[in-house]
Amino acid sequence: MTSDSSGICIVIPAFNEEISIPYVIHALLRRYPDFTVLVVNDGSSDLTAEVAAAAGARVVTLPHNLGIGGAVQTGYLYCARKGFKIAVQVDADGQHKPEELAKIIQPIVDGRADMVLGSRFLEKTSYRSTLGRRVGIFILSKLVSLFVRQSVTDPTSGFRAVNRRGIELFARDYSTDYPEVDSLVLLKKHRLRILEVPVEMDRRQAGRSSITPIRSMYYMLKVTLSIMIKSFR
Amino acid sequence: MERIQILSMMLSLSLILFVMHLGRRRVIKEQYCLLWLLFGVVMLVLSMNTGWLEQLASYARIVYAPSLLFLVGITLSFVLILHLTVVVSKLTERIVLLTQELGLMKHEHELYEKANTR
Repeated sequence: MTSDSSGICIVIPAFNEEISIPYVIHALLRRYPDFTVLVVNDGSSDLTAEVAAAAGARVVTLPHNLGIGGAVQTGYLYCARKGFKIAVQVDADGQHKPEELAKIIQPIVDGRADMVLGSRFLEKTSYRSTLGRRVGIFILSKLVSLFVRQSVTDPTSGFRAVNRRGIELFARDYSTDYPEVDSLVLLKKHRLRILEVPVEMDRRQAGRSSITPIRSMYYMLKVTLSIMIKSFR
Repeated sequence: MERIQILSMMLSLSLILFVMHLGRRRVIKEQYCLLWLLFGVVMLVLSMNTGWLEQLASYARIVYAPSLLFLVGITLSFVLILHLTVVVSKLTERIVLLTQELGLMKHEHELYEKANTR
């Protein structure tokens, strides 16, 4: 089996998301029935794989938990091998709205960018978050903007679409943990074009963010180091 | 002979014996066995030949010669640990690749089975 007529695959990394994932898949397939929805079940201990398959998604189950980066890369590997032209990354927790999908896909279809990043901060949107998190994202956005020499307002956003070149690059090289930010540096390093578009996002519907306050210090340090290593490689 | 020298000789000798034991039982791979044996032999030679150690220490202007032994030991340990970190990183990368490959293959296999039972 190869890519569908649309050539577009929606990749959803999921770790114990049995409550929210059926809604996400239903909402996506209702709106885009000819897209392929691939759930990468990252070693969940609940029924994520079963409910995702029942909802109409293709499911790749990893035998143990790799972390978000390893799971997403599995999706890109799948897209690369199946000949998909566009890969869209959507979170399993329901914070990315299906009606916003067209905004991040269209610029790729038009050939205006190799990756489109859905940003919560490009325009004033209804998205609210804790102060600490917004400060963290602000610092990272300034840092990334410096390294990729273009303005990036929401580098931690997991709502993104890439074309074939992006798919092939990510299938080869992708960070295992906290990959969102340094994948941008990687793209730029390979001279791929990044475009940011404003999107609305919901607060997550179920589950908890993987980034706890204790981990955020490590997150900032790891991401900063990773950006620097990637740009001087 | 100072007490610390007897102690360090005994320690390096038991390290060598223990590594040989582990190698014989195939608990550690030959190349690591060799690495640790080398480490043990260097420590043993330095603790036996106090003359060499004294001379080296005087070059480095170290008053208490056995502390040079510790310096050498700690340095070698750090190099070994760094080497192990490299090995662990490589292994982690390989495990990630294998896990992804296994997940994708299982998916293909399920599709194949489904198509055949239909």
